[in-house]
Amino acid sequence: MDQDTRSRLTRRAFLRAAAIGVGSAALAACGGGGATAPTAPPATIPPPTTAPTLAPVQPTPPPTAAPAPTAAPASAVTNSLGVTLPANAAPLEQQAFVVYFDITADFTSPNQMETIYKSGGFGSITNLTGDTLVRLNKDFQVQPAAALSWSSDETGKVWTFNLDPNLVWSDGTPVTAEDFVATFRYAADPTHAWDFAWYYSAPGAIKNWDKCVAGELPLDQLGVTAKDKHTLVIESETPAPFLPAKLVYSEVLSAAKLKEFGSGLYTADPAKTISCGPYLLKEFKPGERVVFEINPTYKGTNRPRIERVIQIAARPEAMFAGYQAGEVDRVTGEQLQTADNEIIARDPELSRQVRLTAADFRTDYLFFDCQNPPFNDVRVRQAFSHIIDRDTLIKSIITPTQGIPAYSFLMPGFPASNSEGLKNIQRYDPERGRALLKEAGYEGGKGFPKLTLWLRNEPQIRQALAAAIAAEITQEYGIEVEVSNKEFKTFMDALNAKPTQIQFGMVSYGIDFLDPSNMLGVWLSTGRHNWFNKTYDEMVLKAAEMTDQEARIKIFQDAERLLCEEAPAVFIYHRTVADIYKPYVVGECFEPNIAGFAGLQWPGFTSMSDSLQTLYISNEVTKYRKGTPR
Amino acid sequence: MSAIVSDKAVTAVDPIISRPPSNLWRDAAIRFSKNKLAMGALIVVGVLVFIGIFADVLAPQPNFARPIDARKFPGEAGYILGTDDVGRDMLKRLIHGVRTSLIVGISVQAIALVIGATLGLGAGFLGGWVDFFVMRIVELFTAIPQLLFALFLISIFGGGLFNVILAIALIGWVDICRLTRAQLFSLREKEFIEAARALGIPPFQIAWRHLLPNALTPLIIAVTLGVPTAIFTEAGLSFLGLGINEPTASLGKMVGASFAYIRVYWHMGLLPTLLIALIMLSFSFVGDGLRDALDPRLRK
Amino acid sequence: MVAYVAQRLAGLAFVFILVSIVAFLLMHATPGGPSDEPNMPLPPAAKENILRKCGLDQPLHIQYINYMANALRGDFGYSFSSPTETVAQVIGRTWPISITLGGITVVVALGSGILLGILAAIQQNSILDYVVTFIATLGLTVPNFVIALWLILVFAVELRWLPLGGWGDDWRQIIMPMIALGLGPMGIATRYTRASLVDVFTADYIRTARAKGLAERMVVMRHAIKNALIPIITVLGPRIPDLITGTIFVETMFRVPGLGKFFVESVLDRDYPMIMALMLLIAVLWGLVYLITDLLYTVIDPRVKLT
Repeated sequence: MDQDTRSRLTRRAFLRAAAIGVGSAALAACGGGGATAPTAPPATIPPPTTAPTLAPVQPTPPPTAAPAPTAAPASAVTNSLGVTLPANAAPLEQQAFVVYFDITADFTSPNQMETIYKSGGFGSITNLTGDTLVRLNKDFQVQPAAALSWSSDETGKVWTFNLDPNLVWSDGTPVTAEDFVATFRYAADPTHAWDFAWYYSAPGAIKNWDKCVAGELPLDQLGVTAKDKHTLVIESETPAPFLPAKLVYSEVLSAAKLKEFGSGLYTADPAKTISCGPYLLKEFKPGERVVFEINPTYKGTNRPRIERVIQIAARPEAMFAGYQAGEVDRVTGEQLQTADNEIIARDPELSRQVRLTAADFRTDYLFFDCQNPPFNDVRVRQAFSHIIDRDTLIKSIITPTQGIPAYSFLMPGFPASNSEGLKNIQRYDPERGRALLKEAGYEGGKGFPKLTLWLRNEPQIRQALAAAIAAEITQEYGIEVEVSNKEFKTFMDALNAKPTQIQFGMVSYGIDFLDPSNMLGVWLSTGRHNWFNKTYDEMVLKAAEMTDQEARIKIFQDAERLLCEEAPAVFIYHRTVADIYKPYVVGECFEPNIAGFAGLQWPGFTSMSDSLQTLYISNEVTKYRKGTPR
Repeated sequence: MSAIVSDKAVTAVDPIISRPPSNLWRDAAIRFSKNKLAMGALIVVGVLVFIGIFADVLAPQPNFARPIDARKFPGEAGYILGTDDVGRDMLKRLIHGVRTSLIVGISVQAIALVIGATLGLGAGFLGGWVDFFVMRIVELFTAIPQLLFALFLISIFGGGLFNVILAIALIGWVDICRLTRAQLFSLREKEFIEAARALGIPPFQIAWRHLLPNALTPLIIAVTLGVPTAIFTEAGLSFLGLGINEPTASLGKMVGASFAYIRVYWHMGLLPTLLIALIMLSFSFVGDGLRDALDPRLRK
Repeated sequence: MVAYVAQRLAGLAFVFILVSIVAFLLMHATPGGPSDEPNMPLPPAAKENILRKCGLDQPLHIQYINYMANALRGDFGYSFSSPTETVAQVIGRTWPISITLGGITVVVALGSGILLGILAAIQQNSILDYVVTFIATLGLTVPNFVIALWLILVFAVELRWLPLGGWGDDWRQIIMPMIALGLGPMGIATRYTRASLVDVFTADYIRTARAKGLAERMVVMRHAIKNALIPIITVLGPRIPDLITGTIFVETMFRVPGLGKFFVESVLDRDYPMIMALMLLIAVLWGLVYLITDLLYTVIDPRVKLT
């Protein structure tokens, strides 16, 4: 199947997924019970709202392990945890998942409560040595994990989590609610200075989180307490039905070890760390190798099939070459270069190995300094919103497997996304744009200041995208635009400065948790861009607190409509991340999900996801690997 | 060793030569014109400079982009040398790239030469405290990471062509300075310099007319070698947003940008590389010719 | 001589202080800091926490004094990017690897460059000369990332003769990084050697010696090389610390866990302790190299007086 057909399928799949997305929003946003009586969360995935006739986005379905045994008399492989692998699994010493991580990325610790941003960059595998309170399945639905069930009280502000009593640390001590309390306190601790400290702020803030982070209240005032050994109580500042979804970032640290070592950095030392999760940390050499091995003492529910996870540090430009040489089992889409994708597209064998994911629903967009001329005039912003010829840009520059056009912020498949309904607002229409500019007094670009489009350390493909957009603005509107690919920290420093120093830039945002309040929260007045719209704020914050799924989705969609119309941002494309996997990496996690993607979905191979339970190496591996991976 | 002290000495010492006294530079020009390789290289340099100066006439609208024509190979869709990843004509981009890179390369080396040669001359010839201070400054500038210096400079003064040139030149003068100084160490003790001193020729004249021409060889090489280095350094800085912004073309940036495409779209990397190599080779051969031409010991 | 060396070392100490001040000011004057904020901005209190943890909440001169007081005792602080290791430990772990790779590359690249340069100079203006010059130019103009990628694709992916990268478990791992790293310096060495030798050859006394016959040519060669050595050493001397501190690109491309990547990454990460330590390291290293090359001038050419 050629590229065009595949892209049409993709688009069709997305449009259908949009409808599904609305339905799945209901499931994703409320993993717990209703607001009144404690109810058990769904233990199984409820059927999707339309028949699952979504076509897979690959030309042929990937070789998932259908558990229909063939005549081959392969004795079933059982791993060190006692999990029996499917009949076509490779022998135990081959059950190793070998991947790359970025050699130049900082890698301080593999535990997310210690650090989020210094964890090996894109494609690294982390968060395997502790269970999280909840986890996601491949349809992004919240599933029980360390918390077997949960419920909230009538106010919606007090959540009670019933923890799995079987969880133990690898040194034999049991995992209790105290460990979780210590973990959250550590995350809020000013001396720890967690780099993700904004996360448990509004929307859906944990009670007293901001005050504890600021040092104004002692940590025992944080709204995370242990009712008894296996019951955890988390309070929020405002009613937040999506709090369970947010709690996917809760990889538990050991209270005892935190006390002993004074910090969570013990998780980076194989000699000191203990694990209550599916894996043990065996080697941790940032810039070289990070290795996890299966934890035979694991008693939780996320029982993995893979015995070892081996990560090798490499430079993204060399990763695909390494894949071709057979050193690793996959390269993620973020690690692949444009030329790599071209080579894959031209090779039928390699094309078959591509598995598409939505990854973190990342949307790239242009943004403006909305407080100062010329972009404080909404007509100017709207004019710019009509200049992006998304179809051509995706076809020619991004290439169709790497993204789909974005006319709004929420990617199809994300809860409350409304791509079809909002498609017209920021459509490609240079005529209209010129008319708007003329209205605003900049006919033909006269009088318009020269612009510099700031990029945030983008790879070549998005530099080309920005250059093309800049050229179009110049050619159609007569406005001079330069493009400057700024180094990361210079960019963020300038963006977050008060007042902001970036007049015109291009940046992206990907999800942190599966709720519209996360993505739409970027545009709140307290968010990271300097667009201040009270109506929008009210809508988003109100909808965030509501429990009536249909009503809140409607309000979120209205808010997104306002966002598109007021155009503090011009949406360019949503990234579809095309990972490439060797054919012997199989498992149910690779079957098409609710939106039709048949790849390893966000958040990937971690405790936050149930993909651990199904991913394994098939016996085809002997055709590819020489010997066993180190 | 028949060292030359002054023009008059030639006619005095060597009675066979009965030409009128000649000028160092005119002699050099004549000698240069007889060097076929150097003349050929000079023509190439001339062509490149011509292209650079008249880039706007030869290749109007180099930044015009048709995304639909992105990444075409040479010969496809009417583009002689193909297009780049944004759909811009490679031929036009290369022409403007030559201009930018020549400006960067020559300016950087010119500034570095002025600063480096002056300081090196002073340190090498005068020695003592001058040498001490110059060397300390050299060591200081060596230790500063160029990236940090560029980040700092550009965050204060902004980006753009001039500031990039400054950022590169202010670190790049070090080698030239040390080379000049080293040459001077060995030359200043030579007999002809002693003779000049004995004759009472003032130090500045000694330095300028006698030491510098003899110290030229490694300087010329450093300058010609420095041109591609400057071009690539500029590319590196531009990649971090610290240098020349798109859509201005520069050969170094084109090579750097080609890396993501190189396994398939070889033309995006090969063509600018060839031009950089051409610039460097032609400058090198001109430099070699210059050195041969200016060498006082070859005077006939 | 001893007095001169002592004077130079004292000068080095002076530079050390100077460099530390300049580095410190440069670092803090550059926008950005150790906190990452790729998603939402951190609340101001959280950002202050990070700054406090890194010791950046104090006034600048206090920070500087604390830093220097510790540095003079050998305590260069903890790297912001790997808080479990001190800067000294990181450098101690990575520098030997860079030295090994760099050292071997220096010997091979400079050695072969000088040899090629001699060959070209002897056969001046012949085909061999042009070929050598061409190769040298190629080594200098083809960017080393192209060379690196090409080497990987040919030798590791297609032919599978050489390992993709890494260090320490296979002697063949040094081959490709050495080539990628060394082609440039080899080109430089070739050019300078050839030019300096040609320069010397054309001097009158050389012509005289040549006229006298072949045996004299050996004496001439020694003379020529000695005279040509001064500019060669001047330029090649600093190439050695260049190679020893590694280049980020070759090291990361071939996964050599050396010091090179920190020179760029520490600046981009605003890892202040690492930046300071690296700058001081460079200052000392290069200061020593400059001192040694200056001393070598006197060995080669006894007439050179350094003072």
